[in-house]
Amino acid sequence: MAATARPKTMAELSPRPNVASANQQLPGVIDYEQVDRDIGGSLSPTAGWFGALAVAIVLFLWGAGAWTYQIYWGLGNAGYNPPVMWGVYIISFVFWVGIGHAGTLISAILYLFRAGFRTTIYRCAEAMTVFAVMTAGLFPIIHIGRPWKFFWLIPYPNWRLIWPNFKSPLVWDVFAISTYLTVSATFLYVGLVPDIAVLRDRATNPVRKRILAVMSLGWRNSEKEWRHFARMYLFLAAFSTPLVLSVHSVVSFDFAMAINPGWHTTIFPPYFVAGAIFSGIGMVFTIIIPIRKFFRLQHYVTINHLDAAAKLCLFTSLVVGCAYLVEFWVAWYSANRFEQQYFWNRVFGEWWWAAWIMLTCNMVFPLSLFSQRLRRNPTWLFILSIFINLGMWFERFVIIVPTLSHEFEPWQWNHYAPSWVDISILVGSFGWFFMWFLLFIKQLPVIAIAEVKEIVPPKLRSPHVHEDAIDVTGRHQAYEPDTPGEFD
Amino acid sequence: MTSRRKWALVPGFVALAGAVALLSAYSGASSSQNFTPEQPINFPHPTHVQKLGMNCLYCHYSANKSPDPGLPAVGTCLGCHNPIEVGPNRPKIDSIPARQSVEIKKLLDNYADASGKPKKAIPWVRIHKLPEYVHFPHMRHVNAGVACQSCHGQVQRMQRVYQFSSLNMGWCINCHVNGYKPADAVRNTEGYPTAADNALPPKKARYDCSACHY
Amino acid sequence: MTEPAGSAGVKRRDFLKVLGAAGAVTTTVGCFQEDVEKLIPYLVSPDDTVPGVSTYFATTCRECAAGCGLIAETRDGRAIKLEGNPVHPVNHGALCARGQASLQGLYNPDRYRHPMARKNGKLERITWDEGIKTLRDRISGLGAGAANAVFVNQHETGSFPAFLDQWLAGYGMPAHIAYDGEAPHAVMQANRQSYGSAWPGLDFTAAKLIVAVGADFLEMWGSSVAQQLSFADARAKLADAPRFVYIGPRRSLTGLNADEWVACKPGSELAIVNALAGKGDLAAAATAGGVDQAVLQRLAGEIASTKPSLVLSGVTTANALDVALAVNALNVAAGNVGVTIKPAEALTSFDRVGSPNDLRDAVQRMASGAVQLAMFRGVNPVYVLPKSLRVAEALAKVPFKVSFSPYPDETTELCDLVLPDDHFLESWGDAESVRGSVSLQQPAMDRVFDTRATADVLIGVTKGDPATASRIPAADYRSWLIGRFPGGAQAFGAALARGMAPGSPAQSTGASRTVAAAPAPAPAPLEGQQGDFYFLAYPSPVLGDGRATNKPWLQELPDPVTKIAWQSWIEIHPTTAARLGIENGDHITVTTAAGAVTAPAYIFMGVRQDVVAMATGRGHTGYGRYAQNVGVNPLDALPVAHDASGGLALATVKARVAKTADSSPLVTTEGSARQHARGIGRAITVAELNGPEEEEVEHFAGDNKHDFLPGLRSPVANDAQGVLGNPKSKDKGMYDPEHWSGMAKRRWAMAIDLARCTGCSACVTACYAENNIPTVGAPWQGRSLRPFHSGDGNGWDTRPGANILKGREMQWIRIERYYEGGEDGSSDFDTRFVPMMCQHCGNAPCEPVCPVYATYHSPDGLNVQVYNRCVGTRYCSNGCPYKVRYFNWHGYGEPARRQYAFPEPLNWQLNPDVTVRGKGVMEKCSFCVQRIREAEHRAKLEGRELVADEFTTSCAQACPSRAITFGDAADEKWSVARLAEDRRAYHVFEELNTFTAVVYLKKVNHPAGGAR
Repeated sequence: MAATARPKTMAELSPRPNVASANQQLPGVIDYEQVDRDIGGSLSPTAGWFGALAVAIVLFLWGAGAWTYQIYWGLGNAGYNPPVMWGVYIISFVFWVGIGHAGTLISAILYLFRAGFRTTIYRCAEAMTVFAVMTAGLFPIIHIGRPWKFFWLIPYPNWRLIWPNFKSPLVWDVFAISTYLTVSATFLYVGLVPDIAVLRDRATNPVRKRILAVMSLGWRNSEKEWRHFARMYLFLAAFSTPLVLSVHSVVSFDFAMAINPGWHTTIFPPYFVAGAIFSGIGMVFTIIIPIRKFFRLQHYVTINHLDAAAKLCLFTSLVVGCAYLVEFWVAWYSANRFEQQYFWNRVFGEWWWAAWIMLTCNMVFPLSLFSQRLRRNPTWLFILSIFINLGMWFERFVIIVPTLSHEFEPWQWNHYAPSWVDISILVGSFGWFFMWFLLFIKQLPVIAIAEVKEIVPPKLRSPHVHEDAIDVTGRHQAYEPDTPGEFD
Repeated sequence: MTSRRKWALVPGFVALAGAVALLSAYSGASSSQNFTPEQPINFPHPTHVQKLGMNCLYCHYSANKSPDPGLPAVGTCLGCHNPIEVGPNRPKIDSIPARQSVEIKKLLDNYADASGKPKKAIPWVRIHKLPEYVHFPHMRHVNAGVACQSCHGQVQRMQRVYQFSSLNMGWCINCHVNGYKPADAVRNTEGYPTAADNALPPKKARYDCSACHY
Repeated sequence: MTEPAGSAGVKRRDFLKVLGAAGAVTTTVGCFQEDVEKLIPYLVSPDDTVPGVSTYFATTCRECAAGCGLIAETRDGRAIKLEGNPVHPVNHGALCARGQASLQGLYNPDRYRHPMARKNGKLERITWDEGIKTLRDRISGLGAGAANAVFVNQHETGSFPAFLDQWLAGYGMPAHIAYDGEAPHAVMQANRQSYGSAWPGLDFTAAKLIVAVGADFLEMWGSSVAQQLSFADARAKLADAPRFVYIGPRRSLTGLNADEWVACKPGSELAIVNALAGKGDLAAAATAGGVDQAVLQRLAGEIASTKPSLVLSGVTTANALDVALAVNALNVAAGNVGVTIKPAEALTSFDRVGSPNDLRDAVQRMASGAVQLAMFRGVNPVYVLPKSLRVAEALAKVPFKVSFSPYPDETTELCDLVLPDDHFLESWGDAESVRGSVSLQQPAMDRVFDTRATADVLIGVTKGDPATASRIPAADYRSWLIGRFPGGAQAFGAALARGMAPGSPAQSTGASRTVAAAPAPAPAPLEGQQGDFYFLAYPSPVLGDGRATNKPWLQELPDPVTKIAWQSWIEIHPTTAARLGIENGDHITVTTAAGAVTAPAYIFMGVRQDVVAMATGRGHTGYGRYAQNVGVNPLDALPVAHDASGGLALATVKARVAKTADSSPLVTTEGSARQHARGIGRAITVAELNGPEEEEVEHFAGDNKHDFLPGLRSPVANDAQGVLGNPKSKDKGMYDPEHWSGMAKRRWAMAIDLARCTGCSACVTACYAENNIPTVGAPWQGRSLRPFHSGDGNGWDTRPGANILKGREMQWIRIERYYEGGEDGSSDFDTRFVPMMCQHCGNAPCEPVCPVYATYHSPDGLNVQVYNRCVGTRYCSNGCPYKVRYFNWHGYGEPARRQYAFPEPLNWQLNPDVTVRGKGVMEKCSFCVQRIREAEHRAKLEGRELVADEFTTSCAQACPSRAITFGDAADEKWSVARLAEDRRAYHVFEELNTFTAVVYLKKVNHPAGGAR
C-alpha cells in the first residue's frame, strides 16, 4: 500500500508567500486517493460533532418555543417600544441576508474571475449562503403581527380579487429572497453532483448508497456529463452573479424608500451590498478556520487561500468604512436639521456605544489586515471574524433602532430594550443555522472534491503493478507496461 | 418505469399540490355557502310570500331604512296567528279552511301562554353572517333597487332557507365594479324585463375598501 | 324610552347581551367561519327604535355639580356614546372628559349588581324588599335618635335635595348634608357677599385683561366647560383678545394657558392682590410673595389702565375667603361687575352647596357615638377627607350605616346596608344649571344591573308603612317629578325632547346647615411652620376629588400638565431637584406635621423652587379594580384645615422633602417636551399677527416653504386625490379621475386652532368612546418582558401602566405639550398644546410601503386603515413622520384574554359601527370614517347631497374650546375650507411634502407690553 507520509506543510513546500491562482497546486496533497480519503474521511461523525449538533438543536428548539409563546401572547412580548416598531427581528433578518452573500460571491463571481483561491472554500461558503438565507427568510414572518396571514404578501389569484402592493419594498423582498434562495440552492446542488457520485461509489451502507445514487442523478463521470456540467455551472454562475448585487440592494430599499432620517439616502444599496459581502466573508472565516483545523484540511485550505480572502475582506471593509463616513458628511452637507440631529444622536446619543462598536469592529480592526503577518495568521483571522460578525449585527442595530427612536416627532421619542423573547429567537436562529450546517458537513463534502482534483497533480507512475490512473477529467487510463517483460 | 419518468414524478406532485392550493384559494372554499340549518320553527316562506303575497318588508321591516334588515318580533306573528281567534290552527285563507298546524302549535305552545302574551323569544339560527369588520348597509342596496333575491336567492320558494350566495369579498366586488343590471332585479323577482329595463345601464358602486371596512 | 320596566324590557336586555357577545367575540382575527349564532328577536318590537339605527335621548350629566346637557346615543337599547346637548345653556354641545367617561360609570364592571346587607361580617345579597324593610325598621327604631341621624348626599342641583329633605323631615331627621369636595367654597361665599350669587356668569369675551389668582377656571374651578367655551371665544378674537396673567405658586393647566405667570409663594396672594389693587405696599407684597417688584408694578399699571378686566380668585390657603373678597373688591372697583362678571346670568350649580364644615362636624358627632344612623349617597368621606380626621374610626362608632353608592368605594365597604343607586343614565331626575330653566334627566336605557334609584327606594320606605304611606302621594319619583312639573305629564313629555324646560326645581325647605357647624380651628400660619417646602395639594383636572378614578378612560388619560397616567407623582422644580440630587421617577417622601406621602418625583418647571405639589384623586384602597392601589392620596399628609368659609384648605402646610432609595419610571406619554425647533406647535405674537403679512415663522435650515395648496391638493399622488389631484401629474394612480361615485370630489380635512386649544384632553376621551380604543394601562394588562424583573413571576408585569411604560398607549389623538423657553428654570416659558392625530396625508409615507394595501388612500382623501387586511409589518409606522399609528401588541379585543380591555359589561359600550381590533394589527385615527359613511347613508336615504358642516368627528364634537373643525376642504361651503386659507394656517412638517389634511392655526401670544 502506498505509504502516506505526513503531508508537508506550506512552509516547507513554498517558503515565500504567494497568491493562490487557478493553477495553484496544493503541495500538501499527493494524489487523488488522498483527496478522497481526506475529504471523505471528514464525513465520519465524531463525538465532538454530535455534541455540537445537540447544542445547536437545543438552541433552535428554545428559539422555536419562544416564537410559539410570542404568537400566542402577541408581539407585546417582544421588546418593542413604539415608535421603535422594528427591532431585533429585522436587524437579524438583514444580518443573515448579509451573511448569505459571500457564498454566491465566492462561488459565482470569483469563479467567473477565475480566482483560484475560491476552489477550496467555495463549497463551504455556498452551503453557508443557503442556510443563512433560510434563516433570514424566517425573520420577516416572526416579525409580523399576524404570521398566519403571511401568504398575503405572495401574489396568487384569490377570491378577494386583490393583490399585494407591488410598490412596497417588502413585497420586493419576498421576490428577492425567494429567488436568491432558489438559485443559490440550485447552484450548490449542481456543484455537488460529481462529489455525490464519488461518495456514492465509496459508500458501503446500501441505504446511504441508494440515496446518494438518487441525489447524484446517475452521474457516471463521462465526458459528455462533464461538458454539460461545465456549461451548466458557468451558466448558473453568470445567472446568480447579478443576484448578489440585487438582493441586498432590495433589502436596503426597505430603509432607503422610507423618509426617515438616517434611512432615506441613495448610498444605501452599494453600502449594503459591500457590508453584506464583508459580513459574509467574516462568517466564512468563522466557519472555515475551525473546519480546516478539526478536519485537518490545512493542506487544502492553505494559508494562501485565507490570505487572499483576507484581502477581499479588507477591501470590503474599506468600502463600508467609506460609506459610514459619507453618511456623516451627507448629513452635515444636507443642512437638514432632522438629518443632522439624527447623526449627532447616532454617535453621541443614547446609542453611542452601539455606533462605536460598529465603527471599531467594521472600520478599525479590519485595518490590521494590511499587515501580511496578521493576514496569514488563522487565529487572528478567526478572532477578527468574530468581531466582524458582531460589528455587522450592530451596524443593522444602529441603522434601525436610533432612527426609529429619535425621529421627526420629538414628543414620540422613546427608548428600546429587547425582551427575553427577542434574544431567545435570535439565539435560536443561530441554533437553526448551525444545525443545518453541521448536518451538511457530515453528509456532503465540505470541500469540492472534483475541483480540488483539478489542481492536484495526476497520479504518477507507481511501483505497484496493474494500477490505473485517473486524469484530471476523471477519464480512466489503463496502465500500459513499458518495461518489457514486466508481466513475466 | 424508465428513469426519466421517475424523475418527473416529484415535480409533478409539487405542481399538482400548488394547483390545488391556488384553486381552493381562488374559489373561496372558506365560504359557508349552502348552509341550511334546521330552524326551531319550520317557517314556510313560500306560504307567506307566494300564497299570501306578503312583502319581505312586512317582517324584515327595517331593510329599507337601516343597515340591519330587522327580524320580526314574535308579536308580529301573533298579529295574524291570533291565539284567541284561530288558536293553533292555520288561519283561514279565502277558500281554504283553517286547519291544525304543528308548527303554529309550536309557536303558540312554546312561545306564548293562553292569553297570547309572549313568554319567550324564538332562537332563530343565523344563516347570513358577515364578519364584524364588514359593514353592509341593507338600506343602500334595497333603495338602489337591488332585489332581495339577488343576494338571498329565491327565498319565496325555499321550504328551508339556506345561504344562497358565497358572501365572499370577490362576490361583492364583482357587482360593485361591473354594476348591477336593473333588468336582473326584474328577473330575480320572477318578472320579465322589458326592453326599457334592458336598456337601463348597470348601477355601479364604490369598490373602495373604506366603503365597507372600517 | 318611556317604558323602561316590564318583561319586554328585561328580555330586550338579554337579546342585547347576545348581540353584544357576538360583536365582541369576532375581532379582526376571526377571518374564519364563525360558530353558529342565534338571532333572538324582540317579543314586542319597541315602537321608538329601528334596529341598527341610533336613538338619541336628551338628559343631564351628573358627574359634577355643573349639570351639563347631554345627548345619549343609544343603539338597540344601549347607551354607546354621550355628546353635549347643543341647546343647553351651560355647555352648548361640548362635553368634558369626565362627562364622556360617565358611560364607564354606567357599565363599570365593579358596580354592585344587587342590594346587599352585612351578615356576620360580610355583605351578602338580599332582595330589594328585604333591603327596604331593613331600612324602614331601622328608621322606625330610631325614635328620639332620629334627630341625630345623618344623611350625606353629593351636592347636586334639582329637585332631589328638596325631596330628600322633605322625606327626612317626615321621620324627624335633620336636613341632609350636601357635600362637594371640588367646589371652591371660599369663592362662593365671597361671591354671595359681593355679588349676591354664588357663581355669577363670567364673560371672558368682554374682558381685555384676565388675571387669575390661583383660579383654575379651565379645570375644577366652577363650571369648566362653560368657562372654557367663553375663554376660547375670547382668545380667538385674536386682535383685541384679552391678555391672561396667572398668579400662583403652581402653573396649572390654566396657568399654562396664560401669557404670563407670576410665581408667588402660597399665602402671599392676599398681599399681592391688595398691592395690585393699589391698597397695599408693592415692595412688601413682592418680598412676601418672592416675586419681582417690577412685575407687580407693571401688573398694577395694567389692571388700572385696562378696562374692562376680569380678576378671579381660587386660592386654597387658609385665608382663601379674604383673598376672594379682596379680588371681588378689586373687580367692583375696576367696574367689571355687570361687564365681565354678570350676577344676572348666574350659574345656579353651586347655589345650595353645603359647607364641608357640616361633614367634618357630622364626622365628629359620629366619633362621639351620638349618631345612630348614617346614610351616604355619592359621597365617600373615608377617602375625600384628610386621613387625619380618622373618618373610618368615627364610622365604626355608628351602629347602622347605609350606603346608596353603586360602587364599592371605601365608605360603602364599611356600611351595613348597601342599596345601590341607579346610574343617572338609568334614572329620572332634574337639575338647575342656570336660573329659570330646568334640565331634565331621563333614563337612556334599561338598568344594567338590579339597582334602584334612591328616590324610589325612599318612596318605597314610606309606602311600606301605612302610617307614613300618605306622605309622598306619588307612586314613584318620576310621577312625583311630573306631578310638580308645570303642565303635567304632557308638557313633561314634550320637554324631554329638548331636555330643557323653563321653571325651577323644588326648593329645599330644610334648614341650611351652612351656619350650623362650628368653624374649624384656624390652621397655624404657613410661615411659622417647620419645613423648607410648601406642600400644595390640588384637585386633579381629570380625576377631580377621586370620584372619577374608577373609570379606565380617565386613568389612562394623561394628566394635561404632567402627561402622567395610572400613577401619582410629586412635582418639584428642576433647580431644587438638582440641588437634592433628585431625578425623574426617584421616590421622594413629603413629610408634614399631619403625615407623610411617598411618590415618584416629576421635575416640573411650573412650580416654585420652594413648592412641592401633588394631585388628588388617586390612592384609593377600594373603589373597584381600576382605582384600587393605584397611586397615593396627598390628603394623607394634610391636616384638617378649613378656610373661613368652611372649604377644605389644601395649601396650609409646610413639608420636608427627603429622597428615598428606590425609584420607578414615570408612566408618561411624553417623549421630549422640546420641539428642537421643528416647528410643530407654532405661535405668533398678536403684534406680528396685526403687523405686515410676512411674519417670521419658525422655519429651520433646509425647510423649503410651500404655498398652501387650495383644497389641499397633492401634486403627486393622484390615486390618493381622485379628481383633486394635479392634472399635470403623470401619476394617475388606481382611481380614474372621473370616478363616477361622487366620492372623489370630497377631501375630508381638519383645522385645529392652537389659539383656542387649552389642552384639556376632552377630545382624547371622546375618541376612546367613539372608536372602541382599548385602555392598556391596567395593572393586569402588562406582560413582563424580563421574567425575573418587575413581574409577578408568572410572566405578568403588575405595575400600573406597564404597557404605557413601553410607549404602547393607543391614543389615536394625543395632546402634545411643548415648552418654549424656561430652559434656565425661570418662570417665563410658553406652552404649546398640539393635538396630534393621523394627518391623512395626501402624499402619505405610510401608504406605498404597506405590502398588502392595508393602508391606502381613499378617493375622498382619507388615509384608510383596513384592519382585517393588516398583517402587522408595522412598516407604515416607520414611515409616518407624525408617529400616530398604534399597534395591537396584545389581544386587547379578545374577551378570553386577561388583557381584554372591555370586561363585561364595559363591552356594552362598544360602538357597533367600529371594528374591535384584534392582536397583531395596526390602527390609527380614521377621521371617524364611520360617521362620514353614516352621514352619506343618511343623505342618500333623504335623496340629497351632504350639507356643509352637517356632521363632525367625535373629537371636534366634544371639544369644549371648539378648537377642532372637521369637514370637506374641497367645498368652500364647509367652514374648514375657509379656515384652511387662514393666514395663521400651516402644516406640520410641510417640508416633507406629505400634504396633510390637517391644518394647524398658529397660537397667538400676548406678551407683556405688546410685542416682545
